[in-house]
Amino acid sequence: MAWIRFLGALLAVFMTIAPLVSNADAHGDAKHDRGTIGEKCIKDTDWMRRNHMNMLMEKRHVTVREGVRVPAESLLNCKTCHTSREKFCDKCHSYVGVQPDCFECHNYPK
Amino acid sequence: MNMDRRSVLGLGGVVAASAMIAPGIHLIAAPERTEASGQSRWAMLVDVNKCDSDCTACTTACRQENNVPTFDDPQRDIHWIRKVELKDKKGKRPSVSLPVLCNHCEHPPCVDVCPTEASFIRKDGIVLVDKHRCIGCRYCMIACPYKARSLVYHATELSENGNADVPIRGKGVVEKCTFCVHLVDQGKKPACVDACQKDGNGAMIFGDLNDGQSEISKRVHEIRTQTMRADLGLNPAVHYQGL
Ligand code: HEC
Ligand code: HEC
Ligand code: HEC
Repeated sequence: MAWIRFLGALLAVFMTIAPLVSNADAHGDAKHDRGTIGEKCIKDTDWMRRNHMNMLMEKRHVTVREGVRVPAESLLNCKTCHTSREKFCDKCHSYVGVQPDCFECHNYPK
Repeated sequence: MNMDRRSVLGLGGVVAASAMIAPGIHLIAAPERTEASGQSRWAMLVDVNKCDSDCTACTTACRQENNVPTFDDPQRDIHWIRKVELKDKKGKRPSVSLPVLCNHCEHPPCVDVCPTEASFIRKDGIVLVDKHRCIGCRYCMIACPYKARSLVYHATELSENGNADVPIRGKGVVEKCTFCVHLVDQGKKPACVDACQKDGNGAMIFGDLNDGQSEISKRVHEIRTQTMRADLGLNPAVHYQGL
């Protein structure tokens, strides 16, 4: 009965993710409260919500090691639209309980 | 528009063909993007005769560009480029002053010893520390014959007039001269070379050794230049003239 177990696992995954995502959605309306300016993100907002961590990790590899630079998608560019780190990145991160150490070195004003 | 059957079919073919182009290849120009090229070999040439012992234009510019702080304790000091005074032991020749920085060797010993592959050599010959990977073991500092590397002992903060485009430093990470890779990738010169030409005596030049038209490759081929500790066979990219 592998498929039942699979279904169960799927349900469990969904139940952990769903509140997170819908919560973020609810916040999404309050865009300006979070200090975001601009029309849309560098990629689809839904995609960014789920994948920005992987994207940044991938980017730091190819940028530093292969010299691939795409200024518009650089970590340096997030702050032009997400003007407040405290209200945007940090707020969500403390909600989900992750503490990226990036800003020890990378400049991103509070 | 009036189209006959054949041209409509042909159009379908075009659409199908463009759909078959491998993903990742875009017919429409992608956003601006640069990449390190294996065709280049970035290098520096220092004319020691022009380098004045009182001049610190290069070291000052480096600290400003890369947010390199100064500490009181010389043992813990971070330096990417430093001025060194060379004295002739017999006193026959006048002492000379020259800047010493990472030599960006073709066969870098620091890269050989790095256990995490944090030290690496980029395709265009620039040797870098991937600070995201460095664990601070300092093997590379011991391996480097030029003492070009420093370990960061203190966490630092961006100073008020610092350069916000360049990351500052985390404690416990090794760092060194990057040939200002962030500027080179934008087609600019390293900060030290720029300062030397503007505020100093124009002793340093920077360019691509593989480009036969560049000033540096012409000069390195025409005049006698030396590299430091050439006997080690590391083939450094920092050349000196008049040593
Ligand atoms: C051109 C402006 C712009 C840039 C540059 C930009 N963003 Fe966005 N980003 C937006 C907008 C607008 C939204 C939609 C936000 C909203 O509705 O609150 C968004 C949404 C997001 C979301 C999803 C937020 C949520 O509510 O779930 C994440 C995560 C995100 N951005 C991360 C980044 C990162 C990381 C960078 C830098 C690599 C970046 N963004 C650069 C404009 C931008
Ligand atoms: C909508 C919520 C949300 C927002 C807004 C958000 N993040 Fe995240 N971020 C997350 C989640 C969730 C994770 C953890 C993913 C995991 O651990 O699998 C994460 C992880 C990361 C990581 C990876 C950390 C690691 O060590 O793996 C980085 C880097 C990061 N975020 C950067 C940013 C930046 C920069 C911004 C602001 C521009 C931002 N994030 C905004 C939700 C968010
Ligand atoms: C010890 C200091 C340090 C820490 C911590 C650090 N970085 Fe970096 N990062 C650097 C340096 C130095 C560079 C090289 C900058 C350059 O060449 O322009 C860099 C480059 C990058 C780049 C490519 C530059 C660009 O314009 O986008 C990305 C992306 C990046 N880091 C992401 C991260 C993320 C995400 C984290 C946290 C998970 C992180 N970094 C943590 C020092 C650090």
